[in-house]
Amino acid sequence: MPTRTSNFREILRVLAEQKVQFIVVGGVAAVLQGAPIQTFDLDLVHSRKPANLARLLRALESIDAHFREHKDRKIKPRLSNLDISGHLLLATSEGPLDVLGTIGEELGYSDLKTDSVLVDIGQGFRVRVLKLAKYIEVKEKLGREKDKAILPILRRTLEEKQRQKRR
Amino acid sequence: MKTKKRANRAAKPRRRKLSSAKANSLPAYSEDGVDLTLIRWMLSLTPAQRLDILQQNTNAILEIRHANPHL
Repeated sequence: MPTRTSNFREILRVLAEQKVQFIVVGGVAAVLQGAPIQTFDLDLVHSRKPANLARLLRALESIDAHFREHKDRKIKPRLSNLDISGHLLLATSEGPLDVLGTIGEELGYSDLKTDSVLVDIGQGFRVRVLKLAKYIEVKEKLGREKDKAILPILRRTLEEKQRQKRR
Repeated sequence: MKTKKRANRAAKPRRRKLSSAKANSLPAYSEDGVDLTLIRWMLSLTPAQRLDILQQNTNAILEIRHANPHL
């Protein structure tokens, strides 16, 4: 049965505790940087180095991750599922989680790392988050309707952040 | 010395007043209709507080959805 609540911080805590290398992207990344938007899932891009895949799998097992499109049976991701450039849409005991091999124009963890920043999410945890400017760039290139809808808020948030920094 | 201290005390509220006046002069909406006051409020919070708010809002909406499956 899918969970009725989302606990983004708990998912991030479990991943950080297992020393998984990942970058938070998507709506949660935007919110952490001040964008007033709503999202219901946590998106992350993971490093696909073998040791990291093993750590990620352990973390996913500990939060009962399974593919959310299979509502009639619980299919858990395997190591081979994680070593792909595509997207794994998972349900977990702490809410929906999208594990992404790449985003945009096939940008993986190592491509995005330079455009990320470490963010303190409380309770002694810091996670790597895709910078807002890069997130906007990725969304602009995708050009889908759902991306276009949110772009004005993201752009104005970035402008306001830059204005406040200049003061 | 006493006079200098008093002068400093008097200067503080005036600085606050000026910055508050400056804040009031900022537009509430961008030209493309984005509520800038909401953005400024979010930016006044720490990332941890922003995450808390996102989580609270998400869970409130999920609860309402669950209570109204016909919607």
